[in-house]
Amino acid sequence: MKLKKGGERVLGKAQKRRYDLPLNKGSGTGFLVILIALMTFLGMLALASSFALSAMTARWSSGLENRLTIEIPTRQVDGSLLDKKGVFTLTRDIANGLHGIPGITNIHVLSEEEIGKLVEPWLGKDLLQGDFPIPGIIAVETSDMESRTLQNIHGKIKTVAPHARMDTHEEWLNDLLRFTGALNLAAIILALVIGVTMVTAVGGAVRSRLAIHRAEVELLHLMGASDRYITRQFQRHSLILALRGGFIGAVFGALFLVLIGWVAGQMGVAILPDFRLDPVQMMLLAMIPLVAGLIATVTARWTVTRVLTTFP
Amino acid sequence: MIRYDHVGLRYGIGPEVLSDVTFALEPGSFHFLTGPSGAGKTSLMSLLYLGRRPTRGIITMFGQAIGSMSREQLVPIRQRIGVVFQDFRLLNHLSAFDNVALPLRISGRPEKEIRNNVEELMHWVGLGDHMNALPNTMSGGQQQRIAIARAVITRPRLLLADEPTGNLDDEIGFRLMHLFEQLNRMGTTILIATHNQVMMDSFNHTRLILDKGHLRVEQPETPVALRDKIIGGAP
Repeated sequence: MKLKKGGERVLGKAQKRRYDLPLNKGSGTGFLVILIALMTFLGMLALASSFALSAMTARWSSGLENRLTIEIPTRQVDGSLLDKKGVFTLTRDIANGLHGIPGITNIHVLSEEEIGKLVEPWLGKDLLQGDFPIPGIIAVETSDMESRTLQNIHGKIKTVAPHARMDTHEEWLNDLLRFTGALNLAAIILALVIGVTMVTAVGGAVRSRLAIHRAEVELLHLMGASDRYITRQFQRHSLILALRGGFIGAVFGALFLVLIGWVAGQMGVAILPDFRLDPVQMMLLAMIPLVAGLIATVTARWTVTRVLTTFP
Repeated sequence: MIRYDHVGLRYGIGPEVLSDVTFALEPGSFHFLTGPSGAGKTSLMSLLYLGRRPTRGIITMFGQAIGSMSREQLVPIRQRIGVVFQDFRLLNHLSAFDNVALPLRISGRPEKEIRNNVEELMHWVGLGDHMNALPNTMSGGQQQRIAIARAVITRPRLLLADEPTGNLDDEIGFRLMHLFEQLNRMGTTILIATHNQVMMDSFNHTRLILDKGHLRVEQPETPVALRDKIIGGAP
């Protein structure tokens, strides 16, 4: 729309009528766009966190399935310390004793280097160079985790080294699953809070616009505009604002996730969850602005319809 | 066509502003609605353009009793009514063209038909050169003509006008009244709320006179009586 001399506006050929109501004029629209952008940003983080937690849980669960670990500590029952050779001998004896037990499919005695790599994230690289007592570890794979098999293994361990411990990871895994489950629940609650906040913000903005333009809305109503005709204008306005805000939030959210992934990669910490997303997860994240648009549209429709029912 | 039977209206728990209002507007008729300030003209007009519902009585419009109709059912009834508001109620963010086109767009007419009809009418009311102007850049008289063009663009079956000549000089006011008469001859029922005694005397139509919420109907004077009134009785 161009301005002609005298302040009159010229409608170009390509000019299309956008709204009968001046909804895109005045303050408040920018605020709503920013709010929806922030909500989308938080939504992306919540969903991405949920994906990462699920991936982490799945990876750890599958890695520990039908596996158990036998640890031969350096400190014996009477409190005396075993030297490296003593630990090695006990570990070898237990491993040999396990060979005849039905249900065991694989026995692997971890070398000092392997144990060193396991504890490296916590204790550093120089562990093996000193006289630090290192326990013996045997990784055992079984065809099942039935109690008979476990009892046989446990019995064999105790006859060779009473102070040795058998860890089926069950307790730790249950704790982990509870923890990740709680985090996932927090992510779901966060998503709900984001949704409710968005509904409240859009509903408030629409009610405010309705109050500002009540005279114009009433005029359309008196001219014979159906509720649907009037509602459609608010729906379209809210959809455009939500998509605009959603897109901005999604761009910043994506950049933030890339940054987090890069930082995690730079740190090289193995216990951090993997932030790589598969195509389906990326598609779901990309759909968040569309969900924001849908929420805004439905909220606008519902709010305007409710207000219009007060008209004669 | 339009019938009011013992219609009453009150705001909240206040006294009745309209009491036992009974009248009928036949198809193609022309009426003036007049009365002193505070008599209830605006209230009656708002009932007529379905801006309010009565607190009692029966209103029949276009053969349908509207009392039992839902809000959705009132939509096509409203589309048959054109209204010229006293304060025009133009949408200042829309051009004059878009203001006039609004009722056609609401009723879902094709854009080409809208353009042809609106351009023709804008020229007819003498605003062919102001189609792209915004209302707040135009004079009061021009705004009034836009409001009138918007009210008649759909060729309504009932045209309601609240003080339509209030902001116009006598010459334009009379031209406007001739425009209403022309529409009336084409079949539109017209009701004009006015205080303008000269206008009512000049255009001899039935008068609905409101006083303290009560309405009486005064039939137009016969040609002989009118002649006597203007030039004096026979010697």
